[in-house]
Amino acid sequence: MRTPLPTMNEPRPTAAPPAEHPGVRPEQVVRLEGIHKSFGKNEVLHGVDLTVHQGEHVVIFGPSGSGKSTLLRTINLLEEPDSGSVQVFGVEYGPGLTRGGPRGSAIELRRKVGMVFQQFNLFPHLTALGNVVLALRTTKRLGRAESEERAARALKQMGLLRWAAHYPAELSGGQQQRVAIARALSLDPKVMLFDEPTSALDPELVGEVLGAMRALAEAGMTMVIVTHELNFAREIGDFMVFMDQGLIAESGRRGFLDRCENPRTRQFIAAVL
Amino acid sequence: MDLLANYDWSLVWEHRSELLHGLLTALEVAAVALVISTAVGLLLALARMGKPPLSWLAVIYINVFRGVPALVSVIWVYFGLSLIIGISFSVFQAGVIALVLLYSAFIAEIYRSALGAIPRGQREAGLALGIHPVRVFARVILPQATKIAIPNIGSMFIGMVKDTSTFTVIGLLEVVRVTQNLNSTTFQPFVLYTAAAALYVMAAFGIDLLFRTIEKLLATPPSGRVARAISRRRRKRLEAVMLRLDSASGRT
Repeated sequence: MRTPLPTMNEPRPTAAPPAEHPGVRPEQVVRLEGIHKSFGKNEVLHGVDLTVHQGEHVVIFGPSGSGKSTLLRTINLLEEPDSGSVQVFGVEYGPGLTRGGPRGSAIELRRKVGMVFQQFNLFPHLTALGNVVLALRTTKRLGRAESEERAARALKQMGLLRWAAHYPAELSGGQQQRVAIARALSLDPKVMLFDEPTSALDPELVGEVLGAMRALAEAGMTMVIVTHELNFAREIGDFMVFMDQGLIAESGRRGFLDRCENPRTRQFIAAVL
Repeated sequence: MDLLANYDWSLVWEHRSELLHGLLTALEVAAVALVISTAVGLLLALARMGKPPLSWLAVIYINVFRGVPALVSVIWVYFGLSLIIGISFSVFQAGVIALVLLYSAFIAEIYRSALGAIPRGQREAGLALGIHPVRVFARVILPQATKIAIPNIGSMFIGMVKDTSTFTVIGLLEVVRVTQNLNSTTFQPFVLYTAAAALYVMAAFGIDLLFRTIEKLLATPPSGRVARAISRRRRKRLEAVMLRLDSASGRT
């Protein structure tokens, strides 16, 4: 038994559509269509569609093994889908719905899409600043002085300027994750992907990372977030996606977490919250 | 003490310059070979981790040359390879090539395990930032793998210095050759070979110290007095930049 998507009875307008153009559909930033992905003989995504609009905060949640991380990773082609379309700003980067069509390069795609990982994945041989500088120098081809200054500004935005000369091993998990966010943001991404950004953190450090993400959301960044932090999701999420067994089981706009009727979704939400 | 009285230990001091020159030659051959072996070893490791048939060739090469003794290798290079390709190598060149053939195989295995020890997330993070895969390897993976490989490469260097002792067969004037020459005129093998052994041990200590320092320099954060002194200056410079930025943006 599946209820229709409750998009028609939104309690209040979301932050997504720009207020100065009422009625105008916001631009589609990411559009996934018919994504299939297998690891060996095991198909983990069975044809998933997902659209992310400009300024929208999409939250993907669901049990482990449901394919939510894999889906997120197809957006920047860290996982190459077996079939399906991965479009970012209208350019096809995936195999496409008609195979063999024109395709943008993965590097080009990734320079528009920032990503934050569960395990932070900072480069341990470089300082906090060095992490950001490497990203800037290799992708934007900036000189040393300019990239150092831009990197410092990115760290300052995350409140980490005084830790710039420290190595990841000298930082707390929360600080490391904020460096990772600064590193991704320094490249001016058009959309940010978060893959369980707080799951590897000690409970008392979760707040500082969610705070940084909240600030980013309020600044209007387009975000796709895989998370178990459903309270946070309820707060900033514009569009909620519940994934189960390689498919989107149910999805909906603001208030979805309290309104959804699919028993599987309700059961999961009750277990997590 | 009879033992000391029967042997003329002053010989060692008398011929110190020849002996040290022999050690220097040994270190030179080994050092040149180490640099080349590391580069070749890295390429072999990449081939080994790549797709067949290249990976098969790498496996065959590694397993063959890890098993060949240095003595055989240098004779084969100096007398055999010269004939086959029609270039006559100097004894120095032949020694370097012989060592590279053997030790690139060992270093390939060292690099293979070091590269395998880097978490997958490092590559993914680099790619996700839009960095070209070749640069992700050069700037993210390789520095970390090299840090892991350094202690083992240091051991290889000590082994290479010792293996130069077999190059006496082609007449390279290294420690053993010098010792043999001195022995043929002084007939004091015990004294001279003890001195030779002491030289190798000294070299091993020196190399160990050198590689420990490199290791500490590459540690993050750098550890040890020398490494910290070097990195402190870098950190100070960075912190000055930070402070300037902080106060500059604070005013606006």
